[in-house]
Amino acid sequence: MWSLLSVAAALFAAAASAVSTGGSRLLVVLDDVAEKDTYGQFLGDLTARGFDVSYETPRSEGLTLFHLGERKYDHLLFLPSKVKGLGPNLTPNRLVDFVNTQGNILLALSSTVPTSTSLVSLLSELDISLPIERTGTVVDHFNYDTVSAAESHDVLVLDAPSNIRPGLKSYFEVPGGVLAFPHAVGHVLGSGALLTPVVRAPATAYTYNPKEQAEVLDADDLFAAGQQLALVSVVQARNSARVTVLGSAEMLQDKWLDAKVTKVGGKSVKADNKEFARRVAGWTFQEIGVVRVNSIEHKLQETEELNPEIYRIKNDVSYAISLSEYSWDKWVPFTLPEDDVLQLEFSMLSPFHRLNLALTGTTEDAAVYGISFTLPDQHGIFNFKVNYKRPYLTYVEEKNTVSVRHFAHDEWPRSFVISGAWPWISGIGATVSGFVGFCAIWMYSKPVGKSAGKKN
Amino acid sequence: MAPKKNAAQPAPSAAATSQSSTTAAGSVPAPAGAAPVSTPVSAPAAKSAPANWDKVLQNIYSYYMNETPQRTKLIDVFLVFIAVVGALQFLYCILAGNYPFNAFLSGFGATVGQFVLTISLRIQTAAANKSDFPEVSPERAFADYVVCSLILHFFCVNFIN
Repeated sequence: MWSLLSVAAALFAAAASAVSTGGSRLLVVLDDVAEKDTYGQFLGDLTARGFDVSYETPRSEGLTLFHLGERKYDHLLFLPSKVKGLGPNLTPNRLVDFVNTQGNILLALSSTVPTSTSLVSLLSELDISLPIERTGTVVDHFNYDTVSAAESHDVLVLDAPSNIRPGLKSYFEVPGGVLAFPHAVGHVLGSGALLTPVVRAPATAYTYNPKEQAEVLDADDLFAAGQQLALVSVVQARNSARVTVLGSAEMLQDKWLDAKVTKVGGKSVKADNKEFARRVAGWTFQEIGVVRVNSIEHKLQETEELNPEIYRIKNDVSYAISLSEYSWDKWVPFTLPEDDVLQLEFSMLSPFHRLNLALTGTTEDAAVYGISFTLPDQHGIFNFKVNYKRPYLTYVEEKNTVSVRHFAHDEWPRSFVISGAWPWISGIGATVSGFVGFCAIWMYSKPVGKSAGKKN
Repeated sequence: MAPKKNAAQPAPSAAATSQSSTTAAGSVPAPAGAAPVSTPVSAPAAKSAPANWDKVLQNIYSYYMNETPQRTKLIDVFLVFIAVVGALQFLYCILAGNYPFNAFLSGFGATVGQFVLTISLRIQTAAANKSDFPEVSPERAFADYVVCSLILHFFCVNFIN
């Protein structure tokens, strides 16, 4: 059912335009609608990718995320705004509701503008903490841009991130590139399992408040330093809705998208902010990293009937799941990240089998993973369960319930098929034929026996 | 009359066999003479014991051959046959394992059941027990035996599958 719906949705989306699987309605919240021109290239790129972009300021009267209980927008992009609170329409509660109804949020922060309390509260809901004064800039005296921040050192130039956790898809990797993070706000991630840092500050970076700690930074007042600080982090909620925190909104501005930056002691190179911004927005707005289950087929080996409801213990069954992945504008076969496996559990309360699925076939837009195995010697209600939850990928949790019955009385091998039983079969034969012979002799010899008995 | 006669006869012979182990007396029906001879001789008893055992067994055998009705002998032969078949099956189970366990149960159970039924038939038809089963004629006992055996075989063949 789910896969049918998603196919229908995908067809509809493809008919409309090439756009994200999450929908095309994007709301950009910024301080002043005129400000959008500074982000013209980035927003223009979004529009070109098929997003239907609306702009609102937090102060506007008509701003509401829900209409008649339905989401009015599919995605939210928060650019820095000077408003202290975002008003009654963008309370943290509403934003959490928005995420709970599968809306995606991209938060761009800037150290030049204090972050709205509403967003700070939203982030603390997600176990992400910002510096206390809602403002704090990340500096690094070893990895700054010598052109634009020769004195202040607050424009970080970092090598493009490689995955911090191994075994993930490389959506955010820009091989060989450098990224410029002007006036970034660092944040610290809690221990939540749904949080994934994408870019961390280098070991020599720290955050401070330029207004209050301009002269000296007391160690006790230090919010975080080094790798503790994350500059870009992503959260994927349990419903696969996505929230991304981008520490530096300015890196989305036109002047930074293609800026030339120079590392300390390095050459002038072009920053890859444009590509990185495209990927961050694309991931957040569900254009990449969306996995779809097309179909699940399980059957008895050497039969044709698909997805029967009942099996017998020790049956040989085969299982196949077809997966597609959305890649910007089309569905492509889903490939696993390196060193990762897709596993199938055959479970009743606890898994009786946990098997690695192998790639068995690929079509134009789907990859089929499958395996054949023998059911356990245990009858009951079992699930074929694929529980594939990885950062950066929408969650796959598919359960197909089947009954597993025991042997029927006529399904056991007959004794005469088992050579081990032949001595006992012949034992019965000997007993029965002995009995028959005994009866025959008994009846035949009865008079003689009687007379003999009498004689003696 | 016959059963009483049969029942009375084994008694003296049993006395003879028990005493003959200490005596050299060979003849079976000599209960009176055996007692006085046995008392003084204790040392030669050990020497003559093997010969005595021979005699004892021979006595038992000849008594059995002479005194047992022919059909009871037939029953006994059949009983020995069943016991051998059952023992072989059990031996096979011990040596080769009990893999199709139902086969072992039914094969071995058939012999055990048949043995029990045949013993019952022997008890009911033995002339010595005539007084215990005044209402059961040998024919009736045999008919019971056949019916019960067929039920047993039916069960065993079913169970061995």
